[in-house]
Amino acid sequence: MKRPSAAMQQLIYGIFIRIFIASQPMNLLPKPVYSPAMAGHLWAVLVISSGSLLLSPARAFLDLSNVALLYVLAVVIIAVRFGRSPAIAAALFGSLSFAYVFVPPHFSLAITETQYLLSAVIMLVVAILVGHLTSRLKQHADFASRKTGESAELYGFAQALAGALTRDEVIQSASRFLEASVQAQDIRVITPSEMDQELDPLTKPALVRQCAEKKMFISSPTRDGHSYAYVLLNAASGTQGVLRFKTALAGVSSDAAVEYIETAASVLAVALERSHFAEIARATEIKHAAESLRSSVLSALSHDLRTPLTALVGMVDTVVLGKVSPERQKTVLEAIRNQALSISRQMTNLLEMARLSAGKLELKTAWQPVDEVLGATLQQVRAQWKDREITVDVSAELPPINIDAVLIERVLWNLIENAIKYAPADTPIEIAARQLAGDVELSICDSGPGIPAEAIDKIFDLFQRGRVESDVPGIGLGLSIAKTIVEAHGGNITARNRFGGGSCFRIRLPVGTPPDFDEMELPV
Amino acid sequence: MSDSGIETILVVEDERQIREAVVTALECEGFAVCEAATAGHAAVQAASRLPHLVILDLGLPDRDGVDFIRDYRTWSAVPILVLSARSEEESKVEALDAGADDYLTKPFGVAELLARVRALLRRRPTELQGAAPKIEFGDYAIDCVNRVVTRAGVPIHLTQIEYRLLVYMAANPGRVLTHRHLLAQVWGGQAVENHQYLRVYVGHLRQKIEDTPTQPRFILTEIGVGYRFES
Repeated sequence: MKRPSAAMQQLIYGIFIRIFIASQPMNLLPKPVYSPAMAGHLWAVLVISSGSLLLSPARAFLDLSNVALLYVLAVVIIAVRFGRSPAIAAALFGSLSFAYVFVPPHFSLAITETQYLLSAVIMLVVAILVGHLTSRLKQHADFASRKTGESAELYGFAQALAGALTRDEVIQSASRFLEASVQAQDIRVITPSEMDQELDPLTKPALVRQCAEKKMFISSPTRDGHSYAYVLLNAASGTQGVLRFKTALAGVSSDAAVEYIETAASVLAVALERSHFAEIARATEIKHAAESLRSSVLSALSHDLRTPLTALVGMVDTVVLGKVSPERQKTVLEAIRNQALSISRQMTNLLEMARLSAGKLELKTAWQPVDEVLGATLQQVRAQWKDREITVDVSAELPPINIDAVLIERVLWNLIENAIKYAPADTPIEIAARQLAGDVELSICDSGPGIPAEAIDKIFDLFQRGRVESDVPGIGLGLSIAKTIVEAHGGNITARNRFGGGSCFRIRLPVGTPPDFDEMELPV
Repeated sequence: MSDSGIETILVVEDERQIREAVVTALECEGFAVCEAATAGHAAVQAASRLPHLVILDLGLPDRDGVDFIRDYRTWSAVPILVLSARSEEESKVEALDAGADDYLTKPFGVAELLARVRALLRRRPTELQGAAPKIEFGDYAIDCVNRVVTRAGVPIHLTQIEYRLLVYMAANPGRVLTHRHLLAQVWGGQAVENHQYLRVYVGHLRQKIEDTPTQPRFILTEIGVGYRFES
């Protein structure tokens, strides 16, 4: 009985060792870098051997079947904690310990009775089966919880993308996500139009094309243990490009990881598609605005410029007829001159507005004293309106501000011109400049009729005039030009009526941090 | 020419209406006027008629007006008055840096045009004599030999830089001096991009010589271009 049982033991052990080895590659999940498999096996050996030794003094009181169940319990615990492979190790080691410690003869592997052999084998089979099933359950549970985690991450990603409006924002948000989730570096989205070009030394165009054509995930390992991944970004309206990034090799080595990356890529593709459509929508909107501007310009030209031009032609004809007295002729000629100048100013405003609204307003800013710009504007105002009373109150020690002087001069000119045009000739125009917290405030006030209450909110809009039927020439551009310019400087402009009549326009421009002028003293 | 006492002005402008208006205005004032519609023709006219003043439009069909100024300045110091449209802010500064003396923005009035023309023609002989040792404006006097500035006889304290700046500007009255030009003259060539230097010192100078610095009488600002000194 002894010899066959020993041979049988060997056979059984051999089979189980084979199962143990075969079970290894079945594990599809990516292994974390620090593998707990080794620890699991150690724990299995430790738990079984210490348990066996602890229980060994009690072997006289314990039924052999109960002891076998205890071993099975240990295997289950190890399966839950460490998975299949340590569980199988525990089962094997457990059955050996069982045979060695508890099956008589004690402290010998020899099994004298067939019944004992049978119980040892049954224990082994049960332990392995239970261990296997438990570890599979654990695997599923782990898999499910990891999927939940991934879903939560992807959900967060999708949410972040929902807040991204432009293509650049989408790519930025995707980069942050990939950096955090798969430790990606060198992230780049290659657009379909870029695919045939040489982009950068990191990108292999052949791989990009292969990825796009075969619609597959491609990874190309690098020498430093990383890998360049190429993922197709496919959305409903077609390919949005190819995502390229560098990551650790382990990040792209399993199907699950690739699947995860591909899911993220499809979320990204949809966001890119959306941003593309959003850009088209925005472009359409701009085009629409340009068209409405064009029609406003046309109506302005047809009404507001044709009227003074008609008057102009009429006055010239009168002079040409030669029936006007010399004194009267001089007045008419002066009127003609003023009319022509006013048309010219309106043309300038129209062109200016067209230039300002044509696209991005480029400011040529420089740090300069406000009073210099104000002084230069007043110099021109005085050239045109010599006798108008203008009071100027500029507080001392105003800080310099970083402005495009040519444009700010346009703003001041437009506001002063408005004040002069609308307020009665014998009332003064009051100009002041002072510092208010972090801003420099310029105000231009008059004692004219003020702004009608219903127009005060719209006064800065294009082609809006405070008084629709007014004998003051103009087409409603000056204030919207002023607003555009001031806002481009990060400032704001407001209009309000003064208590007791008249209106006040206030411009606030941020002071910022001027460069240190003291350092600029040069040796003389 | 100067023998007959009549000064010749060359008008270079490709737009016929504007050229005619300018020519008419000048002729009514008694100037002898020659015209050119292209830079090529202008070069020929400038060489054959030797005008006392050139009025030049920057937007010429055959060549950039600024290039014309650079070529012309290689052999002539005759004042140049530039006509520019509002949109040509940069080429205006470029033209002044290239050697133009003054500019007028279209549309301009005849009175303004004639005033500039007279100012430029008047300035010519003083420049030929070299800088005067004594410059006077308003109730100020600059003694260039002793480096003293006085107002109604009372000396005014100026720093070295302020003094240099004031003398240079006062010696070029009526002329538009660009930021670059002033920086190169007062601080030297390496400082030409540091426009803030200039703004700060002009500010100091105005505090010292202007009655109301915000509404200067002598040192006028040409926004985006530079300064003009009115004596």
